[in-house]
Amino acid sequence: MYCVKCGVKLEDTEKICPLCETEVYHPIVKQEQVPPNYPPDKRPPAKKKTKIINGVVLFLIFIPLLTSLISDLQPDGAINWFGYVAGALTLAYIAFGLPMWFKRPNPAIFVPCFFAATVAYLKYIDFVTDGDWFLSFAFPAAMYFCLIISTLATLLFYLKRGKLYIWGGFVIALGFFFPLIELLLSLTFDLRFIGWSAYPFVVFGLLGGVLIYLAANRFARDAVQRRLFF
Amino acid sequence: MAKSKKNPLRWVRLDNAAKIYPAAMRKNWSNIYRQSMTLYEEIDTVVLKSALEVTVKRFPSIAARLRRGAFWFYLQQVEAAPEIQEEKSHPLCYMSEKEMSKYAFRVIAYRNRIAVEFFHSLTDGTGALIFLKNLVAEYLEQKHNISIPFEQGIIDRRVPPKSEELEDSFLKYAGRVPASRRDTNAWRVPGEKEPEGFIHVTCFKADVDSAIALAHKYGCTLTVFFSAVMMQALMNYQKELNPNTAKHKPIKLLIPINLRTLFKSETLRNFAMFTVPEIDARLGEYSFEEICKAVYHKMGYELTQKHMSAVIAKNVNDEKNILLRLVPLPLKNIVMKAVFDRSGERKSCLSMSNLGVVRLPEIMQKYVSRVDFILGVQATAPYNCGFLSYNGKVYINLTRNIRDAGLERHFFEILRDMGLEVTVESNRN
Ligand SMILES: [Zn+2]
Repeated sequence: MYCVKCGVKLEDTEKICPLCETEVYHPIVKQEQVPPNYPPDKRPPAKKKTKIINGVVLFLIFIPLLTSLISDLQPDGAINWFGYVAGALTLAYIAFGLPMWFKRPNPAIFVPCFFAATVAYLKYIDFVTDGDWFLSFAFPAAMYFCLIISTLATLLFYLKRGKLYIWGGFVIALGFFFPLIELLLSLTFDLRFIGWSAYPFVVFGLLGGVLIYLAANRFARDAVQRRLFF
Repeated sequence: MAKSKKNPLRWVRLDNAAKIYPAAMRKNWSNIYRQSMTLYEEIDTVVLKSALEVTVKRFPSIAARLRRGAFWFYLQQVEAAPEIQEEKSHPLCYMSEKEMSKYAFRVIAYRNRIAVEFFHSLTDGTGALIFLKNLVAEYLEQKHNISIPFEQGIIDRRVPPKSEELEDSFLKYAGRVPASRRDTNAWRVPGEKEPEGFIHVTCFKADVDSAIALAHKYGCTLTVFFSAVMMQALMNYQKELNPNTAKHKPIKLLIPINLRTLFKSETLRNFAMFTVPEIDARLGEYSFEEICKAVYHKMGYELTQKHMSAVIAKNVNDEKNILLRLVPLPLKNIVMKAVFDRSGERKSCLSMSNLGVVRLPEIMQKYVSRVDFILGVQATAPYNCGFLSYNGKVYINLTRNIRDAGLERHFFEILRDMGLEVTVESNRN
């Protein structure tokens, strides 16, 4: 019998290809029933250790949550600052705790999730403090940030090559963040648009350009590596 | 060999190469390997036990247990044969010091197969093969009432062992001038470890004549050829994981060399040395021919009496140092383990151990269908490889303790592209 995926010739004892883990299968030829070379593997299929640890972490978060709720309610029986604590803890958990449940967390899902939670948190602060900056400032800024970070994480996750190109693009996109911030600030808080953001924009643009140039030019990359190695 | 009246059991000092292995042991790893013979019939464990009793008496330095002295470990002959064990889902389960203090070897029967697993301090692959051959010969004689001639490593099991078999040939053949050596670390195959010490064994079987024809095409022997294939596979795998060859680590193999033929020794204890061929992808792309040459010339240069006795001398000199010898054993272990961790296996990706052509007396060949040589994985690196040829077939056994079979895939692809047909089997089911 041959493996349908990698083409290796397999002994009749094999039920799964030892090289590529493809199930041994042939539509016409019936595989002979040959006893295996070794007794079956009796180990439990998956390890539950990480699940237990993650459960404990989740439980431990409730302790500061509960104590801060009690101490916030203590003086006047109303919630004053507990919302900030709860929001910050939830945010931290979404950033670090939640992905731990997965073996290989996909940033294309988790990074937008984190930003969605951040936006909700900001909206809450805006609401509690009667601020008027959420829709015109915090939301678009966070969305832009979410977009470029998600793109960066997803590209790094799926692509094995061209890391320098990805980082170069990211740095340039980061440069655009500053004019955006200045614009939003001036709109929200009635500040004068003086164009300070042009400086970081140019610096980031140049830096990104250098990275992309290095990505494209192998000789320049080698020269830089040779001089800057550590 | 000493024999006291109080305790009639023989004991031996560990030979020069054997000394490092007890010191290198750790919580879930010790240096063990397996040799097995598969018959055409199911194994009768009652007869096997009785054959083992006879064999154990004839090989007192191999059928032994590991004990602690004040300054060194030593081996003591076992009084009686151990029980025949049942096979687990993988070979070479962890052998603890506690287990070794009773028996530093195991005999395992499964279906048609008789397997013996040895702690490396007992003997090397060549010595172990003699033990296995005689165990199986004794088994066949008792089971089938046949008589197997004393040839091809089969010896008279009713006479006491010869003193040549028990000698530490390292001490005997050490040269006057010690060799010096400094090495760089080799690439370590990455991967997620299997839980509970599970070991994957993947066996590649090929026709020996086709393999030899292919080796001759590149002007080399089977050992050199398969070592070169392994190095190429390691190089390709490293390149798959990291396309930037400027950042590659050197590829090195540890190839054990049997010193018995070189020095005309008859010892049944450890008497092997290593040669470590190396290629470095940072220097540029290697063709397969170049890898063959790198291995071939390295072996040719080192496989001489002069070079080897210098290497032995270096090891023996350390052992002879009176100050070092007077250090109590626990302290010595710490030092030796540190030395092992810093040098030893870090200097190679894996061992590529060729036991050579296994020959059996004609009458025995009718009963034995195949022979295997399986090395345990290294202490910190995940792979190892043992191979031999028997009855027109090469059996290459790759062991690993990580999940992914990346190296095996590359190894297969190279052989496939060269046109050598291999059949693969494993302990997965
Ligand atoms: Zn396959």
